[in-house]
Amino acid sequence: MKTLDIMTSQVETITSSESIKDAAVKMRNLHIGTLLVVDEGKLLGIITDRDICCKVVAANRDAVMTQVREIMVKDVSTCFDDQDITDAAQIMADRHVRRLPVIRHDKSLAGLLSVDDLARTSHDLAGRVLESATPLH
Amino acid sequence: MKVQELMTKNVESIAPTKSLKQAARRMKDLDIGYLPIVQDGKLLGTITDRDITCYAVAIGRNPDETDVQKCMTKDLITCYEDQDIDEAVQLMEERHIRRLPILHHDNTLAGILTVDDIARTSHDLAGAVLEAATPIH
Repeated sequence: MKTLDIMTSQVETITSSESIKDAAVKMRNLHIGTLLVVDEGKLLGIITDRDICCKVVAANRDAVMTQVREIMVKDVSTCFDDQDITDAAQIMADRHVRRLPVIRHDKSLAGLLSVDDLARTSHDLAGRVLESATPLH
Repeated sequence: MKVQELMTKNVESIAPTKSLKQAARRMKDLDIGYLPIVQDGKLLGTITDRDITCYAVAIGRNPDETDVQKCMTKDLITCYEDQDIDEAVQLMEERHIRRLPILHHDNTLAGILTVDDIARTSHDLAGAVLEAATPIH
């Protein structure tokens, strides 16, 4: 099965120059914990609710004055939309992540694959990713 | 198998009157995203990295001046350490959660059971919990 068959295609994004407060408001209103950082169609990074907690609140930074680009994770692992979900799960396990942005071959953003998406198709693939993930506590 | 054989013991906790910033610091330093709030050995609530982002940063509350007890989840679902794993999993599925505080019979905190703990024993049970959980996107 291909990644595009099970990924979430409706992905929420934010631009790199928006503030951390804007990102937090979006996460709260949309009931999501991840935003992909996209400028002019290009994926630049990813930011999560945890990044905001640990790199802004814990570090005493001002959420209104800090831009998303200062906090986002830039070195993002991705997979292609036509890759097999077993490959995608392996990338997630190897990189210890629970979410993987999915791109097309022209590098444009196609969607987001989460461990929850995997679980709907294969409990075993999802379990493998969880076992190698950074603990959730 | 009993919950106590799988759960994470020696769980870090925080007092209800500590600030959100202190909670964020501890989550960062301990590399965790979840803290039980305990007073006199009794579990009062829990708080996550996401709660700090959504209930402090997003609405402009000062994390230095807001107590964790203001943003904690109080309506807790718990189970006892000597309950069977299947019962705990069923509870997590029904309530759409990924983490479950575990109690001794005197109602003090014994540990936490997460979907990651479950994955180490059964990919299938962990996958079922994820499938039922509120999405992480």
